[in-house]
Amino acid sequence: MIKGLLKKDLYNLSTYKASLIITILFCGIAIIGTEAINFAPIIICTIVGMIALSTFNYDEIAKSNKYILTLPTGRKDIVKEKFILAIGATVLGGVLGLLITIIAVNIMNYVRPENVINMNYESLIITTIGGMWGISLIQSIQIPSIYKWGAEKGRIQMFILVFILIAVVAGIGFLIVKANFNIDMEMLNEFMNKFGLFLLVLFMIVMYYVSYKISCKIYMNKEE
Amino acid sequence: MKNNIELQNVSKKYKDFTLKNISFNVPEGCVVGLIGENGAGKTTTIKSILNITKADGIVKIFGKDSKENENEIKEKIGVVLDDSFLSDYLTAKQINSIMKDIYKTWDENKYKNLLKQFNLPEDKLIKEFSSGMKMKLKIVTAISHHPKLLILDEPTSGLDPVARNEILDIFREYIQEDETRSILISTHITTDLEHISDYIVFIEKGKIVFHLPTQELLENYGIIKCSQEDFLRLDEKDYIRYQKEKYQYEVLTNNKNRIKQKYNITVIDKPSIEDIMLFYIKGEK
Repeated sequence: MIKGLLKKDLYNLSTYKASLIITILFCGIAIIGTEAINFAPIIICTIVGMIALSTFNYDEIAKSNKYILTLPTGRKDIVKEKFILAIGATVLGGVLGLLITIIAVNIMNYVRPENVINMNYESLIITTIGGMWGISLIQSIQIPSIYKWGAEKGRIQMFILVFILIAVVAGIGFLIVKANFNIDMEMLNEFMNKFGLFLLVLFMIVMYYVSYKISCKIYMNKEE
Repeated sequence: MKNNIELQNVSKKYKDFTLKNISFNVPEGCVVGLIGENGAGKTTTIKSILNITKADGIVKIFGKDSKENENEIKEKIGVVLDDSFLSDYLTAKQINSIMKDIYKTWDENKYKNLLKQFNLPEDKLIKEFSSGMKMKLKIVTAISHHPKLLILDEPTSGLDPVARNEILDIFREYIQEDETRSILISTHITTDLEHISDYIVFIEKGKIVFHLPTQELLENYGIIKCSQEDFLRLDEKDYIRYQKEKYQYEVLTNNKNRIKQKYNITVIDKPSIEDIMLFYIKGEK
């Protein structure tokens, strides 16, 4: 059943094919032009990740949600499918971003041997995962918001939630500074170098899991 | 006779509307028409049957609790909703590919044959279809997995008479193919039901006004057109509603033979389902 729902969303998304290819090409050109190789995976990951969420708009415009509930698919499966799509898009965005950056840099190095860009693969991977983490945070907030308030209102609510989140993080930071809390930066850096990547991935999994559970709870009680 | 749908005291409360204790059955081999004004509760009843909205009361489909056996039941139901379908940016071909993975019993050949029969293009986006073509596609999609029960919400609204007739033919053919099949059809175009329904359920302001065989409605009900003097002779028990017109009274009865015998009134018009519905809504008692 989930496969059928996935197909529905992928067919809908196929209308984005042309604009996605243009965006990716544009990113490739931007990398060549600016040499800002670390930004490309973040941008591509964000675009692909956000496109996946536009399937909610297709469903809302066609009022498909009501029809889908008449099909032999449980409400949990409907939510699960949206998360599979969102996670898939994030991973695909990350991989695409990474590959395009590597290809673009190699082309540049081949064309301009006098001005070789030394690519730091470790840093590129960290940036890519950082980009994936960012989009997964947005998706994790936005998906339950859409289930609760709909695709249009959900977007506004998401911005409010993100704003609150930033305010809370900034507030905690401010309190730490105000309280003269001594942080051993050297130890923190060492810790982040050792476990940073692992923590990012772990955090992504936890965010998606919590978001999925909240979405299920909202959608199980939702009336179309 | 077995029932494909049984509703017992189904109720649903909204801020400004309440569906009150709806109870009726849809027997095997029968077409049941759900009629009523816009906002009377037809769609809420259908949404409650399909568990799209959470309602109180008992809904049994094929003898099983509709909430506990939801997926199993929905595998055997075909649904057409007036205002909801898959995205307009899909094609009929893509719908086939999607439905193959949704229904275990999806019949690709039947779907493709029906598309051909109704001249529906496979590769054209749905958004380019006319209203009639869209509705036909919804119906073709609803019947291509050989459902035992069809639930249709306003399947003929907004269509011209030719398209409506073609669609009614699809339903006739569907019900004739297997005697255990049933159709529950909600509509405010009541003339359609005179041709295909076996029972009529009339809902008004969230309550069932009557649930009767169509034949009984069309044969026993009558409209008496009489003067005020004749109207005053009528016993209140002998009529259901009346309407005072400019020069005469129009009176709806559910037993025209008794009226003929008791009051010696010979001219009693045969009402349509729409006439009966209008008398119940606008008439006085």
